Amino acid sequence: MTRRRLVIVLTTVMVCGASALALLADQARPSTGATRSSTTFRTPWGEPDLQGIWNGETLTPLERPARWADKPVLSAEEAAAVEQWVTSSPGRDDRSRRGTERDVAGAYNDHWNPPRTHFSDRRTGLIVDPADGRIPPMTPAAQSRTREVREYLRALLDGTASGRPGATRSPRRNEPPPMYNIDRMNRADGPEDRATMERCFGAPMPIYERVMYRIVQSPGQVGIYVDFGQGQGFLRVIPVDGRPHLPARLRVLHGDSSGRWEGDTLVVSVSNFTPKSDFYGSRENLRLIERYTRVSEDRINYRVTVEDPTTWTRPWTFEVPWQQQPARANQVYESTCHEGNYGLLGMLANTRAAEARFAKRDGPDPATQDNASGGGTGEARTVGNFPR
Amino acid sequence: MRNVLKHVVSTMAVIAVITAVLMFTTRTGESQANAGTAGQARRTPDGKPDFSGVWQANTLANWDLLSHDARPIVAQRGAYPDVPVLAAPVVALGTIGWIPADVGVVDGDEIPYQPWAAARQKENFANWLDRDPEIRCYLPGVPRAMYLPYKFQIIQGTTKVMMAFEFRNADRTIHLDEVVPYPGDAFMGHSVGRWDGDTLVVTVSSFTSNTWFDRSGNFHSDALRVTERYTPLGRDAIQYEARIEDAKVFTRPWTIRLLLYRRLEPNARIVPFRCMEMAEETALGHLRREPLVRRWEGKTMTIDVTRKVPATEEELYQLYISGNPPDPQ
Repeated sequence: MTRRRLVIVLTTVMVCGASALALLADQARPSTGATRSSTTFRTPWGEPDLQGIWNGETLTPLERPARWADKPVLSAEEAAAVEQWVTSSPGRDDRSRRGTERDVAGAYNDHWNPPRTHFSDRRTGLIVDPADGRIPPMTPAAQSRTREVREYLRALLDGTASGRPGATRSPRRNEPPPMYNIDRMNRADGPEDRATMERCFGAPMPIYERVMYRIVQSPGQVGIYVDFGQGQGFLRVIPVDGRPHLPARLRVLHGDSSGRWEGDTLVVSVSNFTPKSDFYGSRENLRLIERYTRVSEDRINYRVTVEDPTTWTRPWTFEVPWQQQPARANQVYESTCHEGNYGLLGMLANTRAAEARFAKRDGPDPATQDNASGGGTGEARTVGNFPR
Repeated sequence: MRNVLKHVVSTMAVIAVITAVLMFTTRTGESQANAGTAGQARRTPDGKPDFSGVWQANTLANWDLLSHDARPIVAQRGAYPDVPVLAAPVVALGTIGWIPADVGVVDGDEIPYQPWAAARQKENFANWLDRDPEIRCYLPGVPRAMYLPYKFQIIQGTTKVMMAFEFRNADRTIHLDEVVPYPGDAFMGHSVGRWDGDTLVVTVSSFTSNTWFDRSGNFHSDALRVTERYTPLGRDAIQYEARIEDAKVFTRPWTIRLLLYRRLEPNARIVPFRCMEMAEETALGHLRREPLVRRWEGKTMTIDVTRKVPATEEELYQLYISGNPPDPQ
């Protein structure tokens, strides 16, 4: 063999060898960072597959009720008894007396808030940490500000049939709320006086009831359309490439999401909330760590740790099993609460009309009417008030 | 032997350099598996174009689908009968209150309205501030969502293509698999997609009559059917085409054609523009107990605002002007 031929042969062999090694190394290191495991639910590009329509409805309430304090999980018989008891009476949605205000409220709830009827697992509370299944205590600052809000809302009921005796008109009627108003307030001076739900941007994060989810994935991105009751749904786009959150001065109503894969679990950090959203008293300092794991063909385990040191004395975690829904039925719909918001327009227009009539001595002072409470009386049957 | 080795090593060094250069120039994006080069569409594992990413149109189509001269967004007669000036609601905006001239995006530069509909479009145009659903932050419909001046993101999954729009946090899902018909109507319609070679063909139907095509009053009825075609133009652009059919409004189908451009910044992302709250003062300010926006004083003008409540209840509760033909008398 000539020297030149030897050079060529040796070079080719070494280059091929190096390429083969590089190729093997590349195969072993998956391009998206997800560790290979033995589960079978994978997208064609190798990430865990969370796609589909999911429903987290369950009778289990968020907090374990006192009635079940010593029983985190019910037996099959106990669960069946609770389900039977809950579904055997319409409770607050009793529509037996047609044409009453309660009937109308029940009709609304029939359509938009159908009662939950079964347990998806038999836990008595969704919270898994702390062990007592209750939201941890609030910080003194949070207790103080939620108390201020409660007192303000209560003060606006003074002078009405639901108020404390003594006042003919609320002395705080012309005061602005102590914080950005989220709640149903007994006043309608403008749209800001109404609950964020009534203004069609009240869906909270994290969300766990009255909701269906549609998940679609592409490499490095997860889209979750949250179809929340009454058409207040919203869309979350979760980049799964470990990128940083938005700058702190950008605040997003449903938070800013940034995800990464940890084995088969999608771990999502959510931050940058605004003071216009409220989750059990937490506002802009809310931080979430969500964990989505596809545990079987038809189940995702959704687990979320909730943290806000300005609201609670410690983080807390709850878990909701999600059930896959049939794809063909496609029971996820457009969220058009805002497009159909005759309700908000009506609340304002009717209050102005009532004020006009009162000015002409033709009707009562709207300030002396309770337009905040009510919408169906009577106690709902829940897991918490299941009789002993 | 030492000379042979020296030759081998130097040849390998050259190969290594060339390989490194090639690898560096072809590795882009977050998924090396299908990044492609600038000349080629990205592909899914089953070989279809992958439209995933952040996109934005770059056109004045949302102002006016047709070719137009520069004009004020709200006009009134100026010193000359054919040279308008900005009208009262926007006079302080100056240049910002003018739409620049541009060529349109409609094949044949004409929208073939039936006579009743041509008259309706002129009314819409003249009453744009009161009627345009975009001003109230309503869902923009299709195809308007595709050429709004805001970013949107496409997440192309295995059986669905989900689109997330910054405007109104709107979304649409294109079903590549079989689903039941939509049980009602939708502002964004119901989208069903299939592949025609490298083109994604989407049929959109089940529309309401309450969305517009642009800010110039171009509209449709609930009979609207849109057939979209998404064809990759290399990796970073999409040729977008939308064929509009509506037998209640137009005399024949017509087609919109424009490009969608990939946002190439690293970590490109959408930030939701949740405008429901922003639209409240405009849409509901007339129903406040005390008017909020009353007076504005600039250097050379004062603007006094009076809100008024429509006299009839029907007008008060009219959230949209439907695009359906008027009922026969």
